Amino acid sequence: MPSAASSPSRKWASRLFLSDYFVLYLSLAYVAILAPFLPTLLNPANISNVLSNLWPLLVVATGQTFILATAGIDLSQGAVIAVTSVIGAMLIAVTGNAAVLSNAPIWGVFIGEQGGILAGSIGGIAVAIAIMMLVAILIGLLNGVSVAVFGMPAFMVTLVTMIVIGAVAIYLSLSENISNLPDAFVTLGKGDLVSVYFGAQDESKIPRKIIYSFVTYPMVIAVAVAVAAHYLLNRTVFGRQVVAVGSNKRNAEVSGIPVRRVIVAVFVISAVCAAIGSILYSARLEAGRPTLGAGTFLLDVIGATVIGGTSLFGGKAKIIWTFFGVLFFVLLSNTLNLMNLSAFQVDMVKGAVILAAALLDVLRTRLTRELT
Amino acid sequence: MRSLTSTVTASLIALGGIVAGTSANAATICFAFQDLETEFWVAGHKAITTTLADQGHTVLERNANEDANKQLEQIKDCIAQGVDGIIVIPQDGESAVTIVKEAQSADVPIAVFNRPPTDTSKGIVVVADNKTIAEQAVDYIVEEALAKAPADKTLNAIIIVGDLGDPNAVGRKDGFYAAIDKHKDRFNVVEVASKWDAATALANLEAAVTANPEVDLLFTSSDFLFPTIRSVFEPRGLWKKPGEDGHVMMAGLDGDKTACQLIKDGYVDATGVQDLYFEADASLKAILAAIDGGEAQPNEVVQDPGFALTQANLGTDEMKMWGCVLLAGK
Repeated sequence: MPSAASSPSRKWASRLFLSDYFVLYLSLAYVAILAPFLPTLLNPANISNVLSNLWPLLVVATGQTFILATAGIDLSQGAVIAVTSVIGAMLIAVTGNAAVLSNAPIWGVFIGEQGGILAGSIGGIAVAIAIMMLVAILIGLLNGVSVAVFGMPAFMVTLVTMIVIGAVAIYLSLSENISNLPDAFVTLGKGDLVSVYFGAQDESKIPRKIIYSFVTYPMVIAVAVAVAAHYLLNRTVFGRQVVAVGSNKRNAEVSGIPVRRVIVAVFVISAVCAAIGSILYSARLEAGRPTLGAGTFLLDVIGATVIGGTSLFGGKAKIIWTFFGVLFFVLLSNTLNLMNLSAFQVDMVKGAVILAAALLDVLRTRLTRELT
Repeated sequence: MRSLTSTVTASLIALGGIVAGTSANAATICFAFQDLETEFWVAGHKAITTTLADQGHTVLERNANEDANKQLEQIKDCIAQGVDGIIVIPQDGESAVTIVKEAQSADVPIAVFNRPPTDTSKGIVVVADNKTIAEQAVDYIVEEALAKAPADKTLNAIIIVGDLGDPNAVGRKDGFYAAIDKHKDRFNVVEVASKWDAATALANLEAAVTANPEVDLLFTSSDFLFPTIRSVFEPRGLWKKPGEDGHVMMAGLDGDKTACQLIKDGYVDATGVQDLYFEADASLKAILAAIDGGEAQPNEVVQDPGFALTQANLGTDEMKMWGCVLLAGK
């Protein structure tokens, strides 16, 4: 007589629960349940919005996935976003506003009324982006070396980096935004490659000519980052080493894995992903902002990654999971807005969902152990 | 009987016309605000939402919790929901430009309430004449301070500056210097940054007063910082009424309830008043007119001239200040 544990329905449920696509199924079910009550949910305009909100978060969460895979955490991603946003903007801004920036230490050195020192120069934007990446790499190295070489806890190291680098971002511009970024840079955050015209819409009092963006530069950049990260994490020796370090650091060391080098590398990857996210967010808001990545941003990044199924305990991570997690998280935020809930209620629901995801992680880990 | 039937029919047609008229005029307005931290924003929020609801319009409220990216996403969500118009209190002047551009490119009329974009040529912009209002308030305390000081004494003045990414803060700072510069050789000025944040203002003001313990005059770019100023001044013996030893001439700007009480008590000497109700009314009228007129990209600047309430005109002008109206419970 077959036991309950081995019954076909239990097996099917276990397979579904442990599937790589579990969160995707959850997202589809969520949409199917809510769509009849929220008619706007499947509107082309709303789908376009969901996609535009998804891409920058996916890039940052991809970096966090590498860190969580090693059983670490990177709290400094928001600060990296802020500081690289200010640095990039101060170099390429077309003009500088003396009334706003004249007291800032960067004024007259990196930016003046004629704009940033790379403004208008050939390849200026590319050089600025390279500098943003370099700054991110240095911060990642600082975090990685502190954790891997000095054995300091990742939580404490990145908490301190978050505070210090966040303060540097604010100091550079004295907390002012740097606007007037060149169009070519702004295109990276909002430019369309393929957009669709659906004709005039007459739901509102004023008929609109609506063109929805579907294939955008942020999409191309985010997908490129995610595909490269997927290859690195799931198809290379380095990726297997990352997961092995997260599963059991001691075993990994004994097996000859260069644990320190792996840990330093994942912190660099995380910081670089944050800097790429910074490009997308700064371009989208058309300004370098020292407060980018502050507030509840980190909750969104870690929350989305964990919802996807990446384990907080390390040793279990896939970029495809992170993609599904970010999709679910963005859908959640979007639908809560469509329900006209207040910002406070939205954050409370988001927090509860992340807690549920962390609980699911524990249950899935336990179930995997039972089945193996 | 026929007459009665005709009367009833005519009444029903007339009622139908009224109902149809009301529903045709009812609009869905997205009201997106950056936060509700100060009395000014709370009162502005209440004035706008209550008036819209009373007129039969549907209001979708969005609070961005001081996150410019979140506010942009919320505005895009509102546009996707097919709102007829948007009223926004942006996080700062730069993000306001991006938001106005987003709404206008989707053919949704948008009004910016009180905190103007750095480019005021796009959208309906309702804003106070911050420079003039600040200058009027500071003029009063400057003249009073000079009248009480020995002719050869150089006075120490503090200005608490707002977030200079907000054009309102820039206007207020300019207004302060316009008044001070009339007697440039009589004042040493110390600038204290607040970033519109009470904790930042507290830390920076404590540092400034520790370094410069003798303060003759203070201007805060917003009234909401008076409790913060009190917490720094009181232990140092600088929170005094006129006539008491150590009284610092103080002025603010906004015209909130706290400022009204402090002016009445004598601790504060003047405040620049933004006409909150005028600004709320102007925003609503302009956005509803644009919707009714089918104007998708209305561009207009509506300026609130404001005024300064001082100890000298308190008796006559008190009830022109919105904070005093709220304080009186009206």
